This record gives sequence, C-alpha cells and structure tokens, in this order.
Amino acid sequence: MWLVLCHSGDVAALWLYNGLRQRGLKPLQLVSAEVLACSRLWEHRLAAGHTTVDITLHDGRAIHGDGLRGVVNRLVAVPMDLWRRASPADRAYVLQELTAFYVSWLMALPCPVLNRPSPLGLAGAWRHQSHWVWLAARAGLRTPDYIQSSQNPIDRPGALRRRSPPPKVKTVLVIGDRVVGGQPPGALLAGCLELARVSGSGILGVDFADGPEGEWTFVGATPLPDLRLGGEAALDALMIALHRERRESL
Amino acid sequence: MILLCGIPSEPPLALVREALAELNACSVAFNQRCFADMRLSFEIAAGIAGGELSMNGATFRLQDFTGAYLRIMDDRFLPELKGQPPDSPARLSCRALHDTLLQWSDVAHGNIVNRCSPMASNSSKPFQAQLIRRHGFDMPETLITNDPDLVDDFLARHHRIIYKSISGVRSIVRTFDKDDAQRVDLIRWCPVQFQEFIEGESVLVHVVGSRVFATRVVSEATDYRYAHEQVGQAAQLQPLSLPDDMAERCVELTAGLGLSFAGIDLKLSPENRCICFEVNPSPGFSYFEAHTGQPIARAVAEYLIQVTD
Repeated sequence: MWLVLCHSGDVAALWLYNGLRQRGLKPLQLVSAEVLACSRLWEHRLAAGHTTVDITLHDGRAIHGDGLRGVVNRLVAVPMDLWRRASPADRAYVLQELTAFYVSWLMALPCPVLNRPSPLGLAGAWRHQSHWVWLAARAGLRTPDYIQSSQNPIDRPGALRRRSPPPKVKTVLVIGDRVVGGQPPGALLAGCLELARVSGSGILGVDFADGPEGEWTFVGATPLPDLRLGGEAALDALMIALHRERRESL
Repeated sequence: MILLCGIPSEPPLALVREALAELNACSVAFNQRCFADMRLSFEIAAGIAGGELSMNGATFRLQDFTGAYLRIMDDRFLPELKGQPPDSPARLSCRALHDTLLQWSDVAHGNIVNRCSPMASNSSKPFQAQLIRRHGFDMPETLITNDPDLVDDFLARHHRIIYKSISGVRSIVRTFDKDDAQRVDLIRWCPVQFQEFIEGESVLVHVVGSRVFATRVVSEATDYRYAHEQVGQAAQLQPLSLPDDMAERCVELTAGLGLSFAGIDLKLSPENRCICFEVNPSPGFSYFEAHTGQPIARAVAEYLIQVTD
C-alpha cells in the first residue's frame, strides 16, 4: 500500500494524491491527520533487531508499517481536538507526548517516506530562517545578508525576506534527485540539490528572489512546499523518488 | 574568549567557569536573569555569522567568542518573570533574547556546547533510540500503545516492566505495578511507552569531545535520579573505566547526534548486553563530579578553548 498523510485542508496533498493515482500508484490511500488522531489502535514496538508500526483507524482500516511501499508525509502537527476539554497543562503535555510519538513511528517506517520526520518537524526539519540562510550559503547558493536582533519581535513565517529586496519569489522544488519548477539557471541546480542533502530533505521547496540583474538570491526554504508549483513534472519526480528510494532501501 | 550562558550560580556552569579561570581562559557570563540589560544581535553574510552582545555597558563581538557553553534554563520560568502575563513586554523581550541566542548557536563558528538543533533528538526518546541503535547499542524491548490488552501481554512476557514519557517532559521512570494495572484503561486516551525492566549495572557516561568519564550508579531505585523519593536512599556513584570499544562507541554516538557534550545513560546486563536508554544533551554533571572527583568541568573547559579550524 502507498500512503499520503496530510491535514484535511491540504489542497496540494489532494492534488498530488489524485496525480499519483492517475499515474497508477495503487493501492494508494489518503489518511488525514484528523482521522489518524482518532485511531482505534496504536502499536509501535522497538527492539534491538526490529521496529514495527501498526495502526487501526476508527473506520477499521489498518496500516501495517511492514506492508507500506511508500509514504508522502505532509503532517505538520498532531490535531488536539480530542483534548480540547483538558486542562491547559494536560493538553500541553499530551501534545508533547503525541508529537514525540509521531516522530518515532514515522521514522520507524521501513519504506520510503518523503519527508522523514525530524524532532524539529513531523514532515522534516522546520528550521529557523537564519539556519536556512546559513545552510544555503554552505550549499553554494547566493544568500542575502541576514540579521536578527533581540530588539526585533520573534520571527514570524516569511520574515526572512526582511533584508531581501521586495522579491518576485520563484519556488524551485527538489524532489529526490530532481529539480523541478521555477526554471532556475543551470548553475543553481547543484546548490538546490546540495541544500536538500545537507538539510536531510527528500522534498524541499527553495524560494529565490529574482533580482534586477537576473541574479537569483535565496530567500527561504521549506520541507513542505506546494508541489502544484511543479506541475506534472513534480508528480513524475515524486514517482521516481518513491521508487528509487525503495530500490535503495532494499 | 568563552561565552557561558545560563544562571552563573548553577553548579555545572559555575564549575566550568572555575575551570576556565584555572586555565587562564577569559570567560563572559550571559546571565539569563539579567535579560533586561542585554542586547544580542547576529548577522550572516556569505555564510559567516558575526554580531554583538551588549550588557553591563560593555559590548562584545560574537566572532571573538571561540567557544560557548549553553546551559540554559527555560526562560519562561525565570524568577524575574514570575507573575508576568504571557504577552507582557518583559516576557516578549526575554523570549526574543533567548530565541536570538539559540538561533545564533546553530550557525556560530567555534566550539559550541551544544548547538540548539542537535539537542532536539532528546525530545522523542523512541526516535533517539532508533539513532542510538545505529551506533551498536542494544535497547530495551519497547511498546508504545493505547491498547491495555497489549500491555497485559507485554507484562506477562517480561514479568517486570516500566513506563516513562515518550517526550522529554515529566520524564520519570516508574515500575508498572498493581495500581497502574487498575488504571491502565486510561491509556486509550493517549499512547504510553512501556519497556522491559533490565537488571544490571547502571552506568552514566559523560562524553566531552573525545574524552569519556563513566560512573557506576548503585541504587535499588527504578530511576536512580529520584532514588531518594523511590527507595529513601540516594544512589552511590563510583568512577568506572569502560572497555575501549564501548568508550569509542560512546564518543561516536555523541558525535553522531551532533553533540560535543552528552550524558549517556547505559545499563550493563548480566547477559553482557550494553543497553543505552537515552542521551542527555545537557547533562547536569556537577553531581557526578562532586561524588567521583572526575574532572568533567575541566574537560568541558579544555574543549571550549581548544583551537579548531
């Protein structure tokens, strides 16, 4: 079985689910985070020689880790609706516990998982923008000067662009070993692939500002890009990445 | 120059400061409790991080810090913020300062003990266990479930099991007893982590770079950190010399997790299993140093001042 994990409002995930089905990936199931959160049974075992994951959803569908062939993982957070009546302290504790649990069972799946979880994010490391800029520079991409001060408010998503010129942002997608979307200059391809590698991302969206001289400057990255930006080429690349990773893991 | 971040009177930080002084190394204290008087900014240009720290009328260039030891307490619980509402200017200012410090630690040049991001592996114990396993350590059989029947089976198989948090929160290890069996149905609300109880010798290994300090912990408690509460008697600590291959694995594990300083929680079973329970990225080593005389603070200080490329 192939699996797409996403939140119920993730339109990009619905798009890729349909696209993968049309490409013959079957049996393919889409399971929302909200459905997952109400699972009837969780059984995750770890030992020296093996790790297993077995989930029974509330509608009776079963997910056995050993039976999965590949997973597209777009989970961002564990829904906490079931806990809305709990005290704030208990809710905070349960959120920590469930998040730690999800990170482990997603990591333990023996099949290709794009993206694998990190303690910094269920669908891959959700890094601070300063860290992305630093990594991008090390990957050989042109980066803006970045500054952060304790006098500034805490960063909000998108705040990286603070020192970039008002950008015409172009998003490039790295999927496996392919770069799709955005039509970047050829010289950028290696840098994008290297950024995905050093950040441990099977899927990575890389944003660039297109400067007045035609130069492309890195302005941000996300492990959870909107794959629709890559169109059919993104779906093709995803199919290849899911199958290639499987061959390598075998 | 070395930056020491935390509460200066807290024993681990105080010991490292003393050790640096003995080595004639200059250190600067980033005292969390003085957050209102500090300003920190950093910038990244062409992949190189620089910046400034201002406090007490003095300004330091961040690139002049060749090492930093971060022993940070959760800034939300600083005494100076007691009674402050969540969105008070003081709280927001304090958070922004700490956020800036932690982000800088990830990109700073030099010997950083430890950088912020790699410390996160400890926030999911079973996730970290999967990384630990790759370094050749054994692990206890573990079951995470919301099904009481599976817990019954697990108990029947192992006879004695423990439970503990999956995350780093409320992380006290307890033996699963009759009272717990009475309320085990509650796990239907949230999966709980159970593990086989391992008989054997508890060993805490502090790794500093490539140096290893092992301590044998003698206690009847399920969680020796809470020995006084659990069995009415503190644990006894004795220095221990590890076999070379085990010490090497501890060093490799620490480096593999992206850490330069760690506390590795081991148990050596009578069947010669070397079980690793977890790796603490911010060990409170002073208790072990005080009881064994191992020069851990000195090793941290020497690591901080060593010259790197």
